[in-house]
Amino acid sequence: MEPAEAELFRLADDELVLAERYTEWQIFAPTPESDLALANIAQDEFGHARLWYDLLEDEFGYDEADLVWERDPDDFVHSTLVELETPEGDWADTVVRGYLYDVAERLRLEALEDSSYAAIADRVAKVQGEEEYHREHAQSWLDRLTASDESRERVQAAVDRLFPHALTLFVPTEHEHDIVEAGVRTRSLAELREDWLDEVVPALESLDVEVPEPGAVVRPEPLGRDGSHTDDWFALHEEFTATYHELGFDEPAELRGENA
Amino acid sequence: MSSDACSYTDYEDGEVPEGFPRTGEGATGAEAEVWDALCEVEDPEMPVSIVDLGLVYDVTVAGDEAEVEMTLTYTGCPAKDMLQNDVRCAALTASGVRDASVSIQYSPPWSVEMVTEDGREQLREFGLSV
Repeated sequence: MEPAEAELFRLADDELVLAERYTEWQIFAPTPESDLALANIAQDEFGHARLWYDLLEDEFGYDEADLVWERDPDDFVHSTLVELETPEGDWADTVVRGYLYDVAERLRLEALEDSSYAAIADRVAKVQGEEEYHREHAQSWLDRLTASDESRERVQAAVDRLFPHALTLFVPTEHEHDIVEAGVRTRSLAELREDWLDEVVPALESLDVEVPEPGAVVRPEPLGRDGSHTDDWFALHEEFTATYHELGFDEPAELRGENA
Repeated sequence: MSSDACSYTDYEDGEVPEGFPRTGEGATGAEAEVWDALCEVEDPEMPVSIVDLGLVYDVTVAGDEAEVEMTLTYTGCPAKDMLQNDVRCAALTASGVRDASVSIQYSPPWSVEMVTEDGREQLREFGLSV
């Protein structure tokens, strides 16, 4: 696999799966405003997934069915952070997940601004422009949720649960060396991880939320990036591909009476 | 970042890159015809031409093939396929054009600042504040 191709799969899969989780809040989010905001953010993330999958189609010869609908769930390489099922009604979980992801996303995109792969570099500014609002949204909710004891405890529980999975955002694959060497991404995952920790740890601590010591965190067994995933992913995958399979594209459509 | 209970989103204006928006001014022959045809294609959500919205980045006609480069207002635009098809069909109406392709570009990123004066006028009539 080409380095750019490998990086595109990481990018696209993260965005697609996160968007799928966000859409589950539709009509259930705590306020009409947050419902609309999350719908909007989900739509952006779907848009970004499409923009990266489009490049895989145009440059590497895949089609949409290969990339999304008929791909083996074990071949998806998104981080486990984005696939985890949201505990029922736990808005803090979604806010924390969005925050942890969006900061990492900004850093990753910055490292793609000068990508040697021009078609990636060309798309970064548009995506960054849309991501800014996502971070603003996550931050504003984090601020609100940490303003009272009860909701801060929920944020704390979400951080405890999600932090180990957020670290899988930076898990390298066999392609990491080539991605950096070819200049597809100008910073390594190890550097991005450091930058991310430097930002999210003090930010969360300033809100009186404790952050696990990164070095002491037990890595989740499935890492996402290598195709190993939690059960939550396989359930989600089955759900979002169900309609595609019901449509039965593998059977030719027949006019009424034909072959009767 | 404010921690006020009631926060809001600040819609900052983007910058207009040199040479944008493109409206086909100065185009001749088949290319001018394609630009004219694209002026008839409206955004699916509001009655404004995609040319006045600044969404068309380039038109070239080589032989009997037209190539249109355009962008979308935002990446998640659900009308992407429909728009691309509308644009392709419009380009095919130009005389001498037998084949047309449409590519989507995201650079330079589109912003409201790229809407033409005519486009702004139409958006205001439609009830948007621009």
